Amino acid sequence: MKHLLSTALAASIALSTPFATTSVHAADEINVLMFGMPFTNGLRDLADDFEAETGIKANIDVVGQDVFESRIALSFTGGTGDIDVVHTPVIQVQRWIQAGWLQPLTDQVSEETTSDILAGPLGAYTVDGEQWALPFFAGVGLMSYRKDLLEAAGAEVPETWEDMLSVAEKITTKDQAAIAMRAAPGQGFNMFIFPMVMRAYGGTFFTDYEGGDFTPSINSPENLEALNVYVKLINDYGPAGAGNFNFAEVNAAAQNGQIAFAVEGTGIISQIVDPANSRFADVTGIALPPGGPAGRSPAIGVHGMGIPASATNSDAAAQFIEWAVSAETVSKIALAQSFPDFTTASVADNPEVVAKYASIHPDFLSTRVAALDLAIGHYRPLIPEWPTLGQAIGESVNAAINGLISPEEALEQAEADMRDILGQ
Amino acid sequence: MRHIELKGVQKDFDKTTVIPPLDLEIAKGEFVVFVGPSGCGKSTLLRLIAGLEDVTKGILEIDGVDATDTAPGKRGLAMVFQSYALYPHLTVAQNIAFPMRMAKIPRDEQQRRITNAAAALNLTDYLDRRPKQLSGGQRQRVAIGRAIVREPSAFLFDEPLSNLDAALRVGMRLEISELHKRLKTTMIYVTHDQVEAMTLADKIVVLNAGAIEQVGSPLELYDTPCNLFVAKFIGSPMMNIIVGQHAAVFHAASVGVRPEHLTISKSSGTWTGVAGLSEHLGSDTYIRVDVEGIDETMTVRAQGKFNVNRGETVYISPEVENLHRFNEAGLRVVS
Amino acid sequence: MTAQAQLRKGATYQLQRGYRLMMVPALLAVAIFAIVPLAGMFALSFSDYHLIRGTNWEFGFHNFAKMLADKRLMNSIYVMAALSVLGVAAQVLIGSAVAVGLQKITGRWRVGRILFLLPYAVPHVAVALIWLSLFTPTLSPINAFFDVFGITVPAMLTSQWGAIFAIVVADTWTNFPFAMLIIMAALQGISPDLEEAAAIDGASRIRTFIHITLPLLAPALLMVTLFRFIDSLKHFPMIFVMTKGGPGRSTQATNFYAYVQTFQSSNVAYGAAIAVMLFLMAALISFYVAKLNQRVTS
Repeated sequence: MKHLLSTALAASIALSTPFATTSVHAADEINVLMFGMPFTNGLRDLADDFEAETGIKANIDVVGQDVFESRIALSFTGGTGDIDVVHTPVIQVQRWIQAGWLQPLTDQVSEETTSDILAGPLGAYTVDGEQWALPFFAGVGLMSYRKDLLEAAGAEVPETWEDMLSVAEKITTKDQAAIAMRAAPGQGFNMFIFPMVMRAYGGTFFTDYEGGDFTPSINSPENLEALNVYVKLINDYGPAGAGNFNFAEVNAAAQNGQIAFAVEGTGIISQIVDPANSRFADVTGIALPPGGPAGRSPAIGVHGMGIPASATNSDAAAQFIEWAVSAETVSKIALAQSFPDFTTASVADNPEVVAKYASIHPDFLSTRVAALDLAIGHYRPLIPEWPTLGQAIGESVNAAINGLISPEEALEQAEADMRDILGQ
Repeated sequence: MRHIELKGVQKDFDKTTVIPPLDLEIAKGEFVVFVGPSGCGKSTLLRLIAGLEDVTKGILEIDGVDATDTAPGKRGLAMVFQSYALYPHLTVAQNIAFPMRMAKIPRDEQQRRITNAAAALNLTDYLDRRPKQLSGGQRQRVAIGRAIVREPSAFLFDEPLSNLDAALRVGMRLEISELHKRLKTTMIYVTHDQVEAMTLADKIVVLNAGAIEQVGSPLELYDTPCNLFVAKFIGSPMMNIIVGQHAAVFHAASVGVRPEHLTISKSSGTWTGVAGLSEHLGSDTYIRVDVEGIDETMTVRAQGKFNVNRGETVYISPEVENLHRFNEAGLRVVS
Repeated sequence: MTAQAQLRKGATYQLQRGYRLMMVPALLAVAIFAIVPLAGMFALSFSDYHLIRGTNWEFGFHNFAKMLADKRLMNSIYVMAALSVLGVAAQVLIGSAVAVGLQKITGRWRVGRILFLLPYAVPHVAVALIWLSLFTPTLSPINAFFDVFGITVPAMLTSQWGAIFAIVVADTWTNFPFAMLIIMAALQGISPDLEEAAAIDGASRIRTFIHITLPLLAPALLMVTLFRFIDSLKHFPMIFVMTKGGPGRSTQATNFYAYVQTFQSSNVAYGAAIAVMLFLMAALISFYVAKLNQRVTS
């Protein structure tokens, strides 16, 4: 009932306070709301540095993702102005802009700051010529593989999903599964991974995304081929119960040696190859995720920081964001936490940072950069409706994996849902 | 004829022995009352007979057959609880019918017995009510009704009257007594009230700390208590116990004399004392007297009205033929 | 007017007034935390509040009309009914059985009953995580154990009824102690004399239970069933953690669907309408419980 209640509470605030309430804090104090990730945890620990540098006190609140959603729903719909800096996942930014929840920070951040940020992640926050947030995190899709198992099977590291099918067949035995990937339904779960297969086969969500034609194309033959591969890999070459796997189960299966391949985001892959975490780290290699006829499209997930429309202290907020993504701050966090996913380019020149991540796995940082180069910003469409679409498509894809419906039916259902959601 | 017999029956709770090995015979048709102060084990003894407690050692025979391990429902006994233990969700008729339903007695026979019991116990108008809607006395009669219809070989009563007010208690006592005369069934009755014991029993079993102090008819116990405990427990007001020099006169460690076996006079008597409080009951007067050389204040009964002021000197004399003499161990000395 | 003819405040006035004052914070809390949001939710359910489609603040029954044709909502109600009926039945049965069993345990082992309360104290998210790993074949000690004997325990979370079963198991594990507590309290309210009387009346253990104990437990059983049923309409953490509503939409119960509509699809008004429907269902059952409670206690 908590969610019902927060919805209702947000609603009642929205109804009863059409005019934004007054600021609830002093001018030299800002409230920062983030959800828990290595970077945000590291940032919280550095709050005193920011105050020492600028004289502005930053109250950095790092909460769980569910709490985060309720908090922003309350704050944004009520226009309470109690948040000055908000964690802004790229997947949400379009929706928030559309809802009028963010204010642009184009004029408040310096060229000097933005020029040091990777162009791809930065561009993901550029909408209608305005900059709405600055990124601090870019997770990309990578693949880990077990060298020993490949060798035993006499196979090479698969370059394409087609290769993957044949290698997986060689590796799979009664006691050894070949691969695990996220299958649980949700735009941040299976719909973070599946588009890598889709795009490799030339599948798209829309007829012409870049050209502005948002007619759904999820039921295309390319997507069907991709879904068949995805379903086959999970069901025929995955461990038991793989149809409900999420990142945690994939991570555990890889660390326990139950699978040869994991196609995951950098966060999970870095744990799989880290000797401190995984028994099999020394025989595990890192590669780009497989590609296909249409090339290779690693998944990308970007997180940034933005300023809510209702924030009253936007100058101080912008100052905070610039500080947070500065090379100095990010380097400190990259050294203090397990955080190789930075988007501030010059951090990669910091020898201490390079040394730290090279010691986890020599190929890690270089493969990550290669994947980032290949990743397209709109890997998942950057439109306000994406969370809704991703949820619906994810449900259909999951239903196909678990044999509730055929892949053909799944994509037809997804197509119908997309049209319905887009009002077409 | 023997009905229920306990042979060396012992009961332990955990490691505490609450009833040391005990022998007791109850004859068919007898009305036996277990009496004693609270905690004396009388209820436990009853529950052992009922089968609600397991016997630790010894044998319990019913009709000459070992029933020590027989389930309570198979002993052919009926029990009336202090709390009545009526089933609150059933009507009076259903409550009375319950044991017959369990015994699978045919419907029409059940009905016949319910009707008879209800008529005998004045419950005919209440058969459709639930226990909650009845008075205490009515509930008691339902409990008895439920016991009667089983036609048990013996009734067990566990302090059945202690939840009733005084007036009702006397009435119910008479009803139970009449029930016994009519049914001639064995009845075992537990009470801490020696008046109930005296009025109801054919045979009284006086219990103390789990052991039997004396078994006998009410008058036997009254006239010849076998020890000090029984002497003090049976009879109201309590027997006066005299120790020391006044007892030595009678060649006993202690001497007991009941209030009605003392005469009081303002002029002369065996012992000299000072009058204390007087209780005027109309038919009798009880006077408390502090006698020189006797520690405990004595109670004296005078017939009719006897007026004496507090602090006045009085003289009291025991009827020597009604003296009870006890030795150092507290046992009766037979002259 | 004479003093005798006046209505008197009475000797307990001061005391009563004290009690009335003590109720003020509770009433305020109810007003602020229940009535205001509830009113907001009702208002929203008639609106067209949508975070990305734009809102014209037009009010009407369109959300409720949409509900009738919403197949996903119908699916969610079906899922909710399955989860609630199976879960509540299991909780009441197991809770009662354990309560009856524990009642027979006396002496120093009585302390052991605390063990049975522990699952109730574990936060639902933690419960869900425990059972997620137990139902994930690659992580589960259950699967590992049976693998030793060459027995393959099937994956539960990848089939519709398997996933429903898994959620019911997790839900039952954490909530049966509630039923157990209520039944235990009810059992303690039944005088032991009654069972003894029944034993003397010739009833076996089983017949005593059926004819005496069970009828006396009936009000508590009914109450606990309805309480658990109302609570079970709020299925969320187990689904969110264990299946995310999958496989497909197999475990998308209505409350989860309301969450999807509100937070994933930005359709706040529609989410509110679903919430209103759930609220009305719960209110209806609560009303029935209150009436029943009155009848039972009077």
